[in-house]
This record gives sequence, structure tokens and C-alpha cells, in this order.
Amino acid sequence: MLFRALGSSANPDLALQSCVRLLAVHPEAASLITGDADRCTSLFRLLGASEALGEFLMRHPEHLDVVRPAAANSPPVDEKALRAFLLKSVEADPDDDNPVAGLTGTEAHRRLRTAYRRHLTDLAVRDLSAASPLDYLPTVGRELADLAAAALEASLAVARREAEATFHPDDVAAVRLAVIAMGKCGAGELNYISDVDVIYVLDAPGLDEAQATRIGTFLASGISRGVYSPGIEPALWEVDANLRPEGRDGPLVRTLESHLSYYARWAQMWEFQALLKARAVAGDPGLGHRYEEGVAPLVWASSQREGFVEAVRAMRRRVTENIPRSEEARQLKLGPGGLRDVEFTVQLLQLVHGRVDTTLRVRDTVGAIRALSVGGYIGRSDARDFDDAYRYLRVLEHRLQLTRMRRTHLMPLDDDEAALRALARASEGALVSARPSAQGLLDRWQRTKRLVRRLHDSIFYRPLLNTAANLSAEDVKLTPEAAQARLAALGYSDPKGAMRHIEALTGGIRRRAALQRQLLPILLAWFAEGVDPDAGLLGFRRLSESLGESHWYLGMLRDSTAAAERLCVVLSSSRFITDLLEVSPESTKWLGADAELVPDSFDAQWQEIQSKMSRHPEPLEAMRLIRLIRRRELLRIAIADSAGLLTQPEVGRALADADRAAVLGALHVAEKAVYGAEVRVTDVVVMAMGRQGGRDITYGSDADVVYVHRPHPGADGAAAQKQAEKVVAQLAALLTQPCKPPIFAERVLEIDAALRPEGKQGPMVRSLDSFREYYKRWSLIWEAQALLRARPLAGDDALARGFLALIDPIRYPAELSDIDLREIRRIKARVESERLPRGADPSRHLKLGRGALSDVEWLIQLLQLRHAHALPSLRTPSTLEALDAVSAAGLLPPADVATLRRSWCLATRIRAANVIWTGRSSDLLPSSRRDLEAVARWCGYGPERGAQLEEDYLKLTRRSRTVFERHFYGY
Amino acid sequence: MDRQQEFVLRTIEERDVRFVRLWFTDVVGSLKSVALAPAEVEGAFEEGLGFDGSSIEGLARVFESDMLAQPDPSTFQILPWRGDKEQTSRMFCDILTPDGQPSTADPRGVLKKTLATAADMGFTCYTHPEIEFYLLESDELGPDGQPVPVDQAGYFDHVPGGVAQDFRRTAVAMLESVGISVEFSHHEAGPGQNEIDLRYADALQTADNIMTFRTIIKEVALTQGSYATFMPKPFSEHPGSGMHTHFSLFEGDTNAFFEAGAEFQLSRTARQFIAGILRHAPEFTAVTNQFVNSYKRLWGGGEAPSYLSWGHNNRSALVRVPLYKPNKGQSARIEYRGIDSASNPYLAYSVLLGAGLKGIQEEYELPQGAEDDVWSLTAAERRAMGHDPLPASLHDATRAMEESELVAEILGEQVFENFLRNKRAEWHDYRIQVTPYELRRNLGIL
Repeated sequence: MLFRALGSSANPDLALQSCVRLLAVHPEAASLITGDADRCTSLFRLLGASEALGEFLMRHPEHLDVVRPAAANSPPVDEKALRAFLLKSVEADPDDDNPVAGLTGTEAHRRLRTAYRRHLTDLAVRDLSAASPLDYLPTVGRELADLAAAALEASLAVARREAEATFHPDDVAAVRLAVIAMGKCGAGELNYISDVDVIYVLDAPGLDEAQATRIGTFLASGISRGVYSPGIEPALWEVDANLRPEGRDGPLVRTLESHLSYYARWAQMWEFQALLKARAVAGDPGLGHRYEEGVAPLVWASSQREGFVEAVRAMRRRVTENIPRSEEARQLKLGPGGLRDVEFTVQLLQLVHGRVDTTLRVRDTVGAIRALSVGGYIGRSDARDFDDAYRYLRVLEHRLQLTRMRRTHLMPLDDDEAALRALARASEGALVSARPSAQGLLDRWQRTKRLVRRLHDSIFYRPLLNTAANLSAEDVKLTPEAAQARLAALGYSDPKGAMRHIEALTGGIRRRAALQRQLLPILLAWFAEGVDPDAGLLGFRRLSESLGESHWYLGMLRDSTAAAERLCVVLSSSRFITDLLEVSPESTKWLGADAELVPDSFDAQWQEIQSKMSRHPEPLEAMRLIRLIRRRELLRIAIADSAGLLTQPEVGRALADADRAAVLGALHVAEKAVYGAEVRVTDVVVMAMGRQGGRDITYGSDADVVYVHRPHPGADGAAAQKQAEKVVAQLAALLTQPCKPPIFAERVLEIDAALRPEGKQGPMVRSLDSFREYYKRWSLIWEAQALLRARPLAGDDALARGFLALIDPIRYPAELSDIDLREIRRIKARVESERLPRGADPSRHLKLGRGALSDVEWLIQLLQLRHAHALPSLRTPSTLEALDAVSAAGLLPPADVATLRRSWCLATRIRAANVIWTGRSSDLLPSSRRDLEAVARWCGYGPERGAQLEEDYLKLTRRSRTVFERHFYGY
Repeated sequence: MDRQQEFVLRTIEERDVRFVRLWFTDVVGSLKSVALAPAEVEGAFEEGLGFDGSSIEGLARVFESDMLAQPDPSTFQILPWRGDKEQTSRMFCDILTPDGQPSTADPRGVLKKTLATAADMGFTCYTHPEIEFYLLESDELGPDGQPVPVDQAGYFDHVPGGVAQDFRRTAVAMLESVGISVEFSHHEAGPGQNEIDLRYADALQTADNIMTFRTIIKEVALTQGSYATFMPKPFSEHPGSGMHTHFSLFEGDTNAFFEAGAEFQLSRTARQFIAGILRHAPEFTAVTNQFVNSYKRLWGGGEAPSYLSWGHNNRSALVRVPLYKPNKGQSARIEYRGIDSASNPYLAYSVLLGAGLKGIQEEYELPQGAEDDVWSLTAAERRAMGHDPLPASLHDATRAMEESELVAEILGEQVFENFLRNKRAEWHDYRIQVTPYELRRNLGIL
């Protein structure tokens, strides 16, 4: 019999050990073991599951009688009986609404606590004998809460008696105190051991306010003393009153009016969430009832308050973050998929929908899940799974706490095989005879956590879909109002529009709709995390409509979570990419394949262009195809950028290559057209200048160019000039004029030849000889500076080499004269004030502003003019490469180089982010908070870090301006 | 906090307050005020009061002119000089951006941020200012082109039946009635010059008190037919008006500056704090002495401290460690004598505390204290002893501040930039003036 009984205990070693200790102090307990078999089983179940309760029995053998056979599903003990039992323990009359104890002080505390633990043991015996702990869980939670309430009541009775020693008994009798339980006790789902959160309400008609407060405070502290002060019979649990208005700083007791006016006026979101659980559990029942009735309307109207969405988001982050790393893997309560996560989800839905639907106004989690399911706010099977997961996690928590009656939410360590096995056994039903393994327990726990995480999105969004799709078969359906309330609470600013999109996406019986019904819950959650959820959803709808039934699209959404998430992020935070995807939806495919997101090399693009040109001899048609290739590559680069596959300098280079391929294509088409009509008498080359030359561009940059030609030997100079002009005019037109059929969403490559000699007055194109003449006679220092970034873009290679040979001595002069140095400083100083747009804030202008791009570039270029003749490593059009060379050559202190680099890179990145976010170019650091937020995310900042980006940018550019001034102007 | 809001609303009702003024300051420390009807106060607590920040100096950039002023209920006070009829009250405000974030351009916010840094290090900061000002006949100049003081008395002089005496009595009573405790008040060295010392309070409250103080002093002067000025140096030949301020740091309820048995009972923390202030003083002088005229005080003699030095009870030093009774460890403190009465107290206290805290963080070594009278040393001696001068003009001070990472860090990039822009403009305006001095000296002979 002993072996059978031991076999039923969760931890036989512990059970045996406790049994031996028990027998050592109370030999008469032997009768328990040798007597009734079922009683013996109960004893070993208890001793094997709880060391603490075993010790209680050693202290109080007179209570061994509570160890008795228990049915597999024992009926609960009702709250009245518990209240009476504990009140009697302190000699108070249970029939009195405001009972007064006969005992006081430590003796009263001892009796009260012993009675509490006696019943706790009784409950534990029944719990451990339950056939299904999951089914029995709500009963246990309820009874634990009632037991705690009874203890509070009895402790209050003691405090009343004690108060009579300090205050006049009539005054004490005049004071009504209601104890409102919050949290798990309020919800009637308490743990075996937990703080009990309370709020005190005071009412003392006819009594002086100050005196009433003094007595009320005495009684409230008395309650806490009764259960928590040190004593022979140890303390039960802490009574925590910190959820009261104003928290720790607020008065311990308040009148009902004071509570209500606080909540009406000042309370924060989380306080309403807490009030959801408020329940009068002890003290004056009438007053408690009035409190409950008073706060309920406030709780249920709270979802209409200003700032609800933000508060929910913030709370959500707190729920899932802030776990000490060392505990992360073992937490039952905190973290994604933990108990808090379940409770938060349920409470949020209650707050959103309970305003209209009163059936949702229940306090306990199990009951709330049921109500939400019955009301159709969450799917039936989701509700079932969620409920199971919640109960399972709670049973684990109960069993862990029962062992030593410690407030723990940590699973045993992975290598603590014995503890894990005991926990596994204890959380199974009493009738299960197999011994589950430790690994089995861990697996099931992990599965449950994953399930909770997955169910989230489904629970929030699935019912919206059912409403939208108007399905008759499926179970739940929200009213349109409820659906909109929920979308608004989750961050959609136009819930009506969002509902329309969801309807469109999920309506019908096609395969696409069916799949989207399945996927949308999680997609909607991803959109909601973006900067602009509404735009994300709209973009997705458009994309989905144009992609129709494409096999790969649905497959990608179904099979590649990473791709689907990337798509959602992009759609809710980038107008630029959304616009492009809409006109070339097939590119969505790239999201699922990183291999497709490597930008095509220049050579590959050029090869493709050549083959297009050979198959499409008609110039306009060929040009259209070339421009489509460029548009495609821009999108590919942007998506790769969004996926974090490219750095900003790589983005610049890739964009420059795409531009170059397009210009080269256009040049070929133009030449073919011109030379087809007349004899060819000259060669043309296009030189890139400015940031295009340095391949430092961002999305939507112009192409700065200079055109050079060289007449064939013996050709007439004037005719050659004319022909060259024809070619370059064609070239520019081909790149920019509208196509037929039109190319939507194209960012046209604007050609800017303003950097040519004599600027706008000069001829568009010059011969190499004319350049030579010009530079011999007129060379100005700013032109030499501009030539620093000249790079052959398209055209005759030999001519390009010739041009470079011509300009090298100009741009890399052996010596920079003092006059030139002064001139370049003067020009820069003038440009600073003149080129800045009127009214622009210089500290926020990304190109011409203080310490921004142009400051860094001018400084680098000045160093190149001075030193590149001697240091060939400086001869590069790229700003970052030049900066590296400057650093390697020691021309600037390393710290200064670092400052310049960071500021240049951040400014470049923000310019790129401006285009990605809005679809439009802007050279200003955004000032609206929303734009800043979006740009900050594209710059690698986390959510809600827009202000940090602003501060960082201003700081960096201030420093780089100082560096610039010191080295460029020499002060 | 919430109870305080409630208290404010109740008081407004009970005392029948008709107007509630919301106060805040611009970047140079001028007081700005918006009047509200009592019915609007609750809304202002909850959502703040919208106003156009672009018209306030240094507050907002033009393109984000919408700002919110959110009153701080702990600063609620009935204004006594408005009389019992039509009671008027005031509260200081924090400035928020339209989405409810603290505005980085709000001077009060800057001080709050600095105090939060101190709190992170475990310190609470207490300050007590000694504010000097001149009482004049009016704000008009006399026939000789000079301001006209109300009397000709000197330091601690008792002037029978004097305007100043009455004035101080009324002013002190009024200050006390708005909850500003006055420690001390007396006639100062210059004719018509007075000093009133406020009791120590935490730094934010002191700064609020200084703003209130200036208003009250000016109001009381007006009611008595005179004019009060906080201009740093209204007379060439008389001392300027400083605002010496005593600083102390507390950790819990122990004074972190006190160490029994150490030299001058100065703790390591106190020495590092002083070292921080001395090292960074040239960088933040533009803030503590923000006007062209401030430098006339700093360099015009008359006890103004113009060199980087500290000393035990040495009145010529920039930082003075006052003498206190050995058993009074709680009153250990240091006094910074550079600030003038026209500074923006929020920013001035921010930079001083920030510099001191920097000294503690980086464990700066305190140089040797000055025992001599720093003014009577020769220039070469001062140089040899490391007593470098403070900036000589607003221009020098601005340039020194431009280079300061620390000041930018303390003020935040936006206040830093706005402040500098304002000061550069002031210097520019000053430089183009032809002064009476030049005319007097040069016109006759050139």
C-alpha cells in the first residue's frame, strides 16, 4: 500500500522524507499510513507535492484530519462557509456585516493564520486528487480567492477590536470600511501564493473627516498586520495597496466620492485595466457594492478615452519586454506567450467590446474567454485553444508555487531532472498512472507558449475577417461597429476604410480569398506595427488585386513568413516601394528570395539592354524597354535596402550603375538614329559629374554630366559639332520624354549639364580641342574642383581616356596657389548663403546645411586639389573613398575623419529615407513627428526614436561643421 | 501630482479666482504669460494649451509653430498684488510638442532634464540665490544721461524714512505671501542698490521663484512710484547686480558636499563639483552672463569675480566655499559668484549643475585654492597661478560656447543653437552702435 501511495505522489523522495519527519514528531500519524488506503494516498500526494504544507502538518498535527480521501472532482467549499470559518477562528460573529473579533494581537493572528492554512491544506488535497487539474483550475482559483477574502475579513474584525483600544468604540463602530480586491483575487482566480492587491474605501457618516481617516487608516494597516506581520505562525502573504489612486503617494483610505472623482479625472489607462478586476471582498458589503457600481461605467468607457491606442501599444511592449535575460527562457508569466500575455489580450478585447456588450463584463480570465467566444468576438476553436493554454500555464504555476509556497514564476532549470519530473507528474490528473518525462513537460510547455503567440493575431483579427467576408459557415462574426472599434484600438486610423479593404481581400470563394482569409490576421498585425498601417493595408489590397491568382504569389505568402513580413513592413512604411510594386507586382517575388535582391551588375544590365536593342530596332520602343529596366533595378535596390541587404554606399553604387546603363543605352539609340540618317563624323562621350560621378547618389538623384566629342580625322569641325549636338539632344530627350505606352511610377532620370564650361551660356557639347583651349585660357578653380568627380559614363573609351588625360593636370594641380585657395573659400562662403532655399533652417538642410553633405564634400575636394598630385590615392570621384585616402595619408586627424564620415553618411541616409518614405525627394530633415518616426526607422532606429534621430543629426552636423570650418577656412 | 491638480481646481473655485495666468520663459529668460478663464484650466491640465511658439524667441522653428503649454499644478499661486477683487493666479508651464512630448526647446525642460541626470546619479540639488537689483526713480534717464537712483546710501546703510526700506518691507511681505521665503534683505553698495536673499529650495523651484521674484519686485516698485532693474551694470562707477548662488547636493538626507575632518570640511564630491565648474566656466559664461552689459559688470571692478579661482571664504574668487559652523554639516555648500541678475535662471542653473556633475562623473582634480585677493595679483602672477580670465565680452563668451560639447549636451541641440543665434544677433546689434563714450572721448579731438 505504501508503494502504491508513493507511486501516486509527484515527488516520492520528498513525500517519503516528509513522512519520516512527520512520524518523528508525531508517531501517532502512523495510523494514517496503515489505515485507510485512500487516505494514505491523499497524504502522499500532498507530501509529494508540497513541502510547505507538510511542514504545516508537522507544526499542527491536530489538523491531520483534513488529509482524507478526496473525490476525483470534489465540490468546492462556498465563500460563506469560508468566511464563517475564519471569522470564528478569531471569535467574531459571522452573521454581523461588520463583525468585531473577540481576540486581538498575536494570538488572534496565530489562530487566523492556522485556520487559513488548515483550509488551504484541505483545498490542496482536493486539487491534487482531481482527475483533470485543468478542469478543476477555476474552482481552485475561485476558492483560493474566497479564502483570501475570508482572511481579510477576519483580520479586519481583529483590527476593529484593536482600534477600540485607541479610539472611542462608537467612533470605530461608525467607520465603514470596504476592502476591494484587485488583480487575481478580485478576479476570483488567485494563485496558491501571491500578493493580494487591495483598495480601501471609507465611509463614516457623522464622523469628523480627519478622525474617520485616522481610524480607517488604522483598520487598513491592521488588516495587513493580521495576515503579514511576523509571528509564531508565519505570515500568509503581503497585502498590497499600491494600486490605489496616486499609488504609494496617495492616502491609504479614501471615500467613495474621492475614488470616483480621481478616476473620472486623472486615472491612467492601466488603472482602468486594473479596475476591470475590482471586486468588493470584505468589509462593509453595501459600501463595497456601491464602489463596484461606481467604477464600472468608467472602466467600460475607457476605450473611448484620448490616447487609448498609444497606451495599449505601450502596455503591450511592457508585457512582452523587460524580462531579465537570465530568466527569459524559464518565465511562465512574463514574455511573449506567457500568462501575462494571455491576460493582456483578453482584457484588451474586453475593454474594446465590453463598452457595448455587457455580457463581456466578467472578471476572471477563463470566464472572459468563454464570454468572448459566446459573443462571437473570438473564434470558437481559437477560444478553446487559448483557454487550454491559459489553464495549462496556470496549473504549472500552481504546482510550482505549491511546493514551497513561494511566489515563483520560473520553471525549474533544464538540468534539474527531478524537479521537472515532479512538476510533470503533479500537473497530470490523479488518475493518470504513467510517469511523464521531464522532456515531455518541457516540450508541452514550449508548444503552449508558441500556441499563445500564434493565437494572438488570430484572436485579434480573425473575427474581423469573418465580419468582412460575410461567411455563413464559420462561427464568429463581429458587428461592423465592433470590428471598427477593434481596428481603431489596434492602431488603424481609418477603420472604416480598413474594413472595406478587408472585405475586398477576403470576399468571394476564389482560392486567393480563401488563402488571404487564412493569412490576413497575421498580416494585419504586421501592418499595425508599421508607421502607417492604413497605407500598408491599402497597398496590399492593390497588389493583391493586380497579382490575381498568380500561383507563386499565393505560394510565397503561404510558405514564406519572412517574405510576407517583409512585404508588410515595406507596404506600411514606404510610399516609394509601394508605388513601384503596384505597377510591377511581379517584383513582389523578390521579397521571398534574397538571391533576387542582389542588384544586377552594370555588365549584366548592359547585356540585357543590348539584346533588347537588337530585337527592337525602333528607337522609341528600344528606349522604353531600357527605361523599364532602370525602373525595375531601382525597385530591386530599394527592396534590398529595406531588407537590410545593402549599406547606403552600396545603394549609391547600385543606383549609379543603373543610371549608367540607361545613359549608355540611350546614347546607343541616339547614335543609331543620328548616324543612320547622315555620315558619322564624330565620337561622343558622356562624363558623369557631381555625386553621380562619385556614385554617391540616392533614389531620384539627377545625373550631372558633361558631353565631349572628337571629330573624326579630316572631318569638318562645324559639321562634327552639329552632329554631336544632335546626338546629345536626342540622348537627353530619349531619357526624359514620355513613352508610349507610358511608364508608370518611373522616376525619370533628369540630365543636368550645367557644370559644363561657361555654364548655361556655353555650348551643350564641346570638342576635346575646344576643352583644351578653354582650360588653357580660362580655367577657373571652381571648374577644377568640379572636375574632381568626373567619371566616364558612356561613349567612346579612347575619347574618355583622352579627356581624363586632359583634365588630370587641371584637377590634380602640382600646386594650389594662395589666390586659388582664397577664391575657393570665397565661393563656398557665398554659396552657403545663396543656394539655401529662402526660409530654410540651415541646421536641417541635408545638402547645403550646417555641417551637411556639401560642407564635407568641399573639404574633401579642397584636400584633393592640394594633395592629389602628390598622393595618387586621393584621385577618386567617390567621397567615401577619398575620405579613406585622406585618413590613410594622415591629412586630417582620425577623430575628424570619423566625424565627417558619420555626418555625411547620416545626411545621405536621411535623404534616401525621405524618398523611400514619401516617394518624393526632400533635402530637409523632416519636422513632423510622424515623418521623423518613419525616417528614423529607415535609418535603423527602433520605434518611437524620431526625436533621438533629430538630436543625433543636429549634434553630428554641428560637430562636422566645426571640423569643416577648422580645416577648410582655417579657423 | 493629481491631487495637486485637484487642489488647484478647488482653490480656483473656493477663492473665486477670475484669471489664471500660465507662465513660461523664452530662451533669454523673459517671462511670457497667457491668461486663462478658470473654466479652461482643467482642459489645460489634460491636454495643454495650444499657442503659436514661432513668435516666442528661441522656442520653436517657424514650421512647427503649434506648441502646447501644460501647467505644473505644484506651482499654483494667487498673485497678491492684484488685490482681493478679481483674484489672479499663476502657474508655470512645461512646453510640449503637439504630440505631447516635452519640447526640447523649453528652458524649464532643460533644467528638468539636468536635474533628472543628477537624480540618476543619486543627487538632489538645492540652490539659494542672492539677488541684487537697483531701485531707480523711473526707467527714464536723468539730465546727465544716467539712470537716477532712489537714494545715495551704501552697503548695509539704514536710510531713515527711505524709499528702499519701505520697498523692501512690502516686497518681502509679498514674496512670503506667494510662498517664497526670504532669508535676508539689505541695502547694497551702490546707491539705490538692494539685495534680497531667497531661502534655499530645490533648483527647479528656485528658478521658478526667481522668475516670480523679478515680477514681484517690479510690480512693487511700480506701486511705489519707482522702478526696479535687474540690468547687470546700470552705472559705470557703481557695482553691478549679481546673483551669487549657493549650490549643494544631497544624497537622500545627507549633504554630499560635507566631509567631517577634510580640508574646509569639503568632500571629494564637492571638490570635483567645483573643479567641473571651474574647468567649464568659460564655456558657459555666455549663459550665466548673457548680455553685452553683463561683461561690463564682470570686468568693471567692484568685487565682480573675473578669474577662474576658488577659495575658502575668499570674496575675490569665482567659487567661494563659505564659512559655516563645524557642527552644521547640512549647510555645506559652494557659492558661484559669476551669475548676474539678468540671466535665465533655468539655463544658468542647468549649465552650472551640468558642469559640476561632469566634474563628479569624470573625477576632475581640483586645482589649488586661492588664498590671496585675486584682484590684487599682477596679471603675470595670475597667469602663473592658473587663474585664467573669464571671457571678456559677449562675443568671446559666445565663441567659447560654440566650441563646447558639454554645453550643447546640457542644453540640447535646439536650445543651444537658438541661444547662440540670439546672442550673435545681440553682439551684432551692439557692435554697430556709436557710444557716448566714443563721442565724448573722440569727437572733440579728431
